[in-house]
Amino acid sequence: MDDHLTGILSNIGVISFVALSAYLLLLTGEISFGQQAFFAIGAYTAGIVTAMWQLPFWLGLGAGAAAGGAAALFVGLPTLRLHGLQFAIATLAFAEAVRILFELFRYQVVRDGEPVGPNGIEGFRNIRYIFEHDVSATQFMLIIYGLLGVTLFGFFLLERSRLGVAFRMIGQDGLLAAAQGVPVFRVKLMAACLAGAIAGLGGGLYAHLTTYVEPAIFDVMLGVHSLAYGLIGGLGTAFGPLLGVVIDIGLLESTRWFAGYRMIVFGGLVAVLLIVRPRGLLDERLVHRIRRLVSRRPPPAPTNAAVLGEEPS
Amino acid sequence: MIPFIQTTLDGLMVGSSYGLLALGFALIFGVMRRLNLSYGPSIMVGAYLGTLLYIQFGAPTYVVAIVAVAGSVMAGVYVERLCFAPLGVGAGVASMVSSFAIWMQLEQASLLMLPRHSYPFPSLTSGELLSVGPLVVRPDYLIMLAAMLAITAALHLLLYRTRFGLGLRAIIENSVAASLSGIDVRSTMLKAFALASAIGGVAGFLVLSANQQVTAMLGMWATLKGLIAMMIGGLGSIPGAIVGGLVLGVIEVHSQTLFGPQVRDLAAYGVLFVLLVLRPGGIFGTAAVSESAAHRGGDRWTTT
Amino acid sequence: MIAARALLLSLFVVMVSSASGWAAGVKAKAEVSCAATAKPLEYDCAIKLSDARSGAALTGVEVTVGADMPSMPMAHNVKPVKATPGSEPGTYRAQIKLEMHGDWAVKVDLAGPVRDRIVKSMRFEPKP
Repeated sequence: MDDHLTGILSNIGVISFVALSAYLLLLTGEISFGQQAFFAIGAYTAGIVTAMWQLPFWLGLGAGAAAGGAAALFVGLPTLRLHGLQFAIATLAFAEAVRILFELFRYQVVRDGEPVGPNGIEGFRNIRYIFEHDVSATQFMLIIYGLLGVTLFGFFLLERSRLGVAFRMIGQDGLLAAAQGVPVFRVKLMAACLAGAIAGLGGGLYAHLTTYVEPAIFDVMLGVHSLAYGLIGGLGTAFGPLLGVVIDIGLLESTRWFAGYRMIVFGGLVAVLLIVRPRGLLDERLVHRIRRLVSRRPPPAPTNAAVLGEEPS
Repeated sequence: MIPFIQTTLDGLMVGSSYGLLALGFALIFGVMRRLNLSYGPSIMVGAYLGTLLYIQFGAPTYVVAIVAVAGSVMAGVYVERLCFAPLGVGAGVASMVSSFAIWMQLEQASLLMLPRHSYPFPSLTSGELLSVGPLVVRPDYLIMLAAMLAITAALHLLLYRTRFGLGLRAIIENSVAASLSGIDVRSTMLKAFALASAIGGVAGFLVLSANQQVTAMLGMWATLKGLIAMMIGGLGSIPGAIVGGLVLGVIEVHSQTLFGPQVRDLAAYGVLFVLLVLRPGGIFGTAAVSESAAHRGGDRWTTT
Repeated sequence: MIAARALLLSLFVVMVSSASGWAAGVKAKAEVSCAATAKPLEYDCAIKLSDARSGAALTGVEVTVGADMPSMPMAHNVKPVKATPGSEPGTYRAQIKLEMHGDWAVKVDLAGPVRDRIVKSMRFEPKP
């Protein structure tokens, strides 16, 4: 497969993780500007585990996801009881604080005569696992999509579970959900923890894909983008944020002839789209209609009894 | 003791610019109950237009000022028409994301005008430092402080002595009731937006002339600082915006003096985070904003 | 179910591939310098590749040069350009076209016979 295309597809795959992370929180009605912090934590953790401690790749990814989830728990506890906008700003403050902390973070070991590791503002170079272990670009892309597939499968299960219903109930009206007996705070915390883990996993993949991360990557832009993907693609299904990522990166790559005007065009398109469809393309109504179309059963044939006017059995 | 007072004074000076930025934010948020992520970028558009005139045509300073403010207002109205007016009361998140999209648009438009990382900007004073006893004051910042006080006073008069201000306060209190009372909510919102952008334009001009340069980070900087200052002072509260800005300035300058420039921003975010956790309403807000209080006046901005 | 199968397939692929290629591989070192050309935002980059451990020049490598803006990853992608070998062994040249000025992370991708990736942070400003 063409290397350039593999690169683009891999990018789409990795960014989908942080988009799904913001989406999960959005389901519970919480707007987070800070998921990029967990992405960053996952990236650095996974990089440290594989490049510096020389441990296997899967361990690095797992550590990244775990670190993301733990950090989300840590932040969620004091902040989730805040009202909408305050929560959003608190996550923003947290994420920027994390980014600045990474600018100050230095931890290096010497390998092959050269220092390897996070070096403050210069970032973390030489996360070369896939080169050292001869994983091809295509193989890595398959790994990314394999894990993305697992995550999407998880969302699929979630949407059909009581927990998923609880998420959306809280998103609609937290007070009403609480009145129905849903433990709102605990469920929100669970959502935040899962979202953090998903972002952390994506971060670990990102670090290994690009072999290089620096704090500037994990700024407010990334956070608001990940939120935007869900809004653009649609909040009705986990494929919504994915669609948003594909549109953004796909459009970004394809509208090359717009050269210096890309953002102007894209920004305008998004604004207009949101006027027409404020819940995104694949919003809840559309998804509901599609589901009904797909699962439509043929109408039951009338029984003889009903035709003859007798009581239906 | 003197260095401490000096640092605090410097902080207040810097804080007055933050206060002005926060004022614009608070005005928009108070009226629309939504966050305008394009606030900084619209200021940037105005500032860049002014800079363009300055560099290409050597325009005098007052022309640059007028153009900067006018440009900000134009950009602000554009944002309002595209991102906020068409979207209904409930679509809070959508309008916020839309304003983010326009942020990208405005920022790229500005960078197309002037692609470099930084440009010179005309200054208001010769830059000589004033001495007030043992303390040193920069006249540019003194002008900024004076402007902030003047604008706050003017805003107060506007809000409490004019019909427009009455309508504005009514909408801030409860937009549904206000429209039922016959107030043209949409037109008032548009005017409030324009006013907020104008204030932002003034803030931008004063900051840039004090620093004598304009950089490509202006949009992001103005949005973040205004947002943080507003949150510290209390969501949507106008006196809170001023106080929040001043407090932010003082914290930042003290942190920089004690720990260095990198910790400066870290301290600002840290304080904001702790403040939000402990006292979500900010300094002037209520101690905790309850769900029901927010639902008053059609305030459901997190859901659609 | 498709997702489960995809995961198993990718796990299998990784296990097979990692079983075959346990060699640490060659680690490359690159020096990159870019000079402005007559056209704005187009730069002529000279790359010098060497083995990081032995210091020997790396010749005959397929080099692709791309760039990304750290503050907006993937937003301003520069289309990757294949570099041509230069006169001296281990040197390569590529012309890249950037979208705007500022801080860029220049990526030097190496394919056959040596596989690696080196990222250099560089700032591109217009000529005064």
